[in-house]
Amino acid sequence: MTGRERYIPYLFLLPALALIIIFNLFPTIATLIESLHGNSLVRGGRVFVGLGNFNRVLNDPVFWKSMQVTGLFSILVNPIQVALALGLALLANSKVRGITVFRSIYLLPVAVSINVTTVVWGLMLNSEGGLINGILNLVGIERQPFLISPSHALWSIIILATWKGVPLWTLFFLAGLQGIPQTVLEAARIDGAGRWQSFRFVTLPLLRGVLLFVLVADTVANFLLFAPVLLLTRGGPQLSTNLVMYETYRRGFVYGDLGVSSAMLSLMLLLVFAVIGVQFTLLRRRA
Amino acid sequence: MHIRYIVLMTVALLLVVAPLAAQEATTITWLNCCNWPSEEVIAEFEAENPDINVEVETVDFNALFEQIQVRLGGGASDPDVLSVDVPVTAGYGLRGWLLPLDDAFSDEDRADWLPAALAAGTYNGELVSAPVSTSTQLLFINSDLFEAAGIEVPGVDDRLTYEQVADIAAQLTQDTDGDGITDQWGFSWEQTVRIYQLQPLAVGLGGQSIGDDGLTVDGVINSQAWIDGFTFYSDMFNESRVAPQDDTIGTSDLFWSGKMGMMIAGPWNINRYLREADDIDFDWTVARHPYFENGEVTTPTGSWHIGVNINSDSPDEAKRFVQWISTGAGAEAWWRRGSGDFPAQQSVLAQFQTDEEFDEGVQYFLRVAADEATVNPDPRAVSPGYLEYEQILQDAFQDIRTGADVEESLNLAVTRIESEMVKYRG
Repeated sequence: MTGRERYIPYLFLLPALALIIIFNLFPTIATLIESLHGNSLVRGGRVFVGLGNFNRVLNDPVFWKSMQVTGLFSILVNPIQVALALGLALLANSKVRGITVFRSIYLLPVAVSINVTTVVWGLMLNSEGGLINGILNLVGIERQPFLISPSHALWSIIILATWKGVPLWTLFFLAGLQGIPQTVLEAARIDGAGRWQSFRFVTLPLLRGVLLFVLVADTVANFLLFAPVLLLTRGGPQLSTNLVMYETYRRGFVYGDLGVSSAMLSLMLLLVFAVIGVQFTLLRRRA
Repeated sequence: MHIRYIVLMTVALLLVVAPLAAQEATTITWLNCCNWPSEEVIAEFEAENPDINVEVETVDFNALFEQIQVRLGGGASDPDVLSVDVPVTAGYGLRGWLLPLDDAFSDEDRADWLPAALAAGTYNGELVSAPVSTSTQLLFINSDLFEAAGIEVPGVDDRLTYEQVADIAAQLTQDTDGDGITDQWGFSWEQTVRIYQLQPLAVGLGGQSIGDDGLTVDGVINSQAWIDGFTFYSDMFNESRVAPQDDTIGTSDLFWSGKMGMMIAGPWNINRYLREADDIDFDWTVARHPYFENGEVTTPTGSWHIGVNINSDSPDEAKRFVQWISTGAGAEAWWRRGSGDFPAQQSVLAQFQTDEEFDEGVQYFLRVAADEATVNPDPRAVSPGYLEYEQILQDAFQDIRTGADVEESLNLAVTRIESEMVKYRG
């Protein structure tokens, strides 16, 4: 390989690298810098405040409440979505009549924007005249305060996020399942493995890479969930859906406190890295 | 050949001159609130000022604050002009977002504004937002629904107690088609979760809007007066269920479609009626703002001001527009054909008492409202953190409206507001 040829791969990588730097790395660094600054309400303008914003955030009961809500949301939504996606992928991978129609239908939510999804679900979940309450009413179940009760609202957001998110992850699992050689599955069957044993000892280990990707990507996507909270609950009722992303937005763009908002985002970033680190470690150890 | 030469020269001249002529008009943008109709008023201004074009961006109430935070906070040069809800003037002044306007107004202009409005637009001795309108609230009544229920319709100068309102509302709330869902409501507030309309519930019982330092809320918004006032509010939505919890259809729309017996609302609804009279087929009237039997009469007040972005690229043109719409003929045009809010100019306000058009009929209600605006008006909190205060209270009222415990919700609001006020304490 000549000296010139050696650089060609990097040349091909350059456009992607440039986009990552502009849209990912630069905003991240800007956020970290902003988190060290604040608006001086006395002198006016932006001033360096060191770790002052972090100090305020860490002593802020509202931030800790939203961390608690985000934690609960993640613990519930990620396993539900991954399990459902895997189950749907196994169904979609089966060779039965009409499976192509099923594959087309379950993919539909991917094509609908999150904002449209949220508005439609909002109408369906309306406590007075919503479709779901109408159906419940028909079968004799009393109306449910889906979006206005602290005990219901987070579950409503989880259901909405699951409806929107699962089909995409199913697609990845389906690709993973179709990549497993039939010969391996046949060999297992010949060795006397039942369906569950085939799945447990052949399919699942071979899907480990896809599972890791889906788990990480799903976790990150759910940590960043924002539109349903903004459009449906605005963090309420009683902060029960006040995910950190929404609190960050509220501090920065509603209250104009960009320093504190950036500090929250920086802490969130650390949390995401920590959770992904744990996921990687656990899955590798199992391997 | 000669003619062809002349034609060619004319066309060429037109192509060069026409764009230059068009370029002479400077375009300014006005970030406005609440979908107020503004086309006619802007057309009047542009006819008088052909060198200025005004482009209006209208957003809803909450979005207005967010837009201002993002755009002015980020140092953007647009919008050039912005509508300012008066309690946030101090906050915007503190942040240095508004251009001082003193040189745009004469002493005569200043003398014409209501003194309280002028004071509210002044920060650190400089006028930073010009008063455009002031306001009050009335009890709007669907007379037909009252008569159908056999209830005597109150007179225009009557003032019901909240207890009477609750009692009548219970009689008016009905499921008329028997499908198990209420379709005729007794009562609601037009701005269901905004402190502007709800403050009299607490202040009328002896509460305060905010501590004397303009920052403290603990012991203030969770005091007994607030708990009692908002327990009444909660009961209307959750116990007697005479007011709709759901806000898919706004209070004002429910009232004007004949599906609500009473609403506390602004006099701008009278202008709405005048615009939509052909579509409204029931008799209605107004009464004075309600009060608690064991409390004081107090009425909401507050006003919209207008300011200029400190980073505007066309500050002179922006100031000319602001001067026009907040004084004299411009102010009158904005009141009559724009927002319909009460003008903050004494010369325009005087028309309610002197003009014959306000002697009778629906227009007379405006004269009543002008008088009601002077009955113990209670301004909103003055605080550099008003924006946070207002938004967090909205959340608390929303929670209470949908069934949350009153004391718990107000205590949560205290925690949140106190946490936000830390940055203003220095």
